[in-house]
Amino acid sequence: MSGEEEENAAELKIGDEFLKAKCLMNCEVSLILEHKYEQLQQVSEDPMNQVSQVFEKSLQYVKRFSRYKNPDAVRQVREILSRHQLTEFELCVLGNLCPETVEEAVAMVPSLKTKGRAHDDEAIEKMLNDLSLVKRFE
Amino acid sequence: MFLKVQLPWNVMISAENMDAKGLMLKRAILVQLLDVFASKKATRELGYYVAVTTLDKIGEGKIRENTGEVLFPVLFSGITFKIFKGEIVHGVVNKVMKHGVFLKCGPIENMYLSYTKMPDYKYIPGENPIFMNEKMSRIQVETKIRVVVLGTKWLEVEREFQALASLEGDYLGPI
Repeated sequence: MSGEEEENAAELKIGDEFLKAKCLMNCEVSLILEHKYEQLQQVSEDPMNQVSQVFEKSLQYVKRFSRYKNPDAVRQVREILSRHQLTEFELCVLGNLCPETVEEAVAMVPSLKTKGRAHDDEAIEKMLNDLSLVKRFE
Repeated sequence: MFLKVQLPWNVMISAENMDAKGLMLKRAILVQLLDVFASKKATRELGYYVAVTTLDKIGEGKIRENTGEVLFPVLFSGITFKIFKGEIVHGVVNKVMKHGVFLKCGPIENMYLSYTKMPDYKYIPGENPIFMNEKMSRIQVETKIRVVVLGTKWLEVEREFQALASLEGDYLGPI
């Protein structure tokens, strides 16, 4: 992107290439990395030695910060968030941080309230309720 | 934020690894790709290289005249991790010092939260120093904390990112 000083994720200024890129929630990354790690365990006695440090640190991180563990729940979370005309980036921030109130959600993703976007408090509230249901029934 | 990327790369296979049986060749290409991917560690544009997820396409190999190696163009999908200025993330406190704390955030080891960016917290020295505010909220090693990213810096030699974080904002702090 041009002019690095202008980057600001709060206003969705993260460069076109990233706005179009698919983002992944921590819980999704956790499923993928754990699966890869299990595959390695089957072929190697010391799997931690087979993976890069970046892999290892990422795996620790997503295990620690995944709010949803069960694959069905993870799928449902993306499905619920997808109904709300969010960018990939916004979707994953909400899925990662799991805000509990409308005020908190807007503080985490200020671009929700950018002019011209149809996110009234009621719609956001509904979305958060749907997400908390997934958590409760996981 | 973890990103899903698809990248075209070239993979070099030495002549010894060329085998008439197709499966062995595919395996050699995959092993080589994983090796190069891991050793690259990170790039300024895409962030840290976390994992290759699928090898999507292997093109026609081209023989290198001088070495006899064969160069295969491949297309693969993978996961990278990059943080952005203004992004709100969760991190874990790694080290507490008088002037601030260092956080870990995924593959990023050095995310610095200065005491000037958490004005209501006071440093309390001791064997295990901590930061604490008037509401007895504590920031110590292993504390999980939600911060906003103030800025990032790419270090070309180390091939890693540094970041500055802040607690100034609503709903930020230990979680």
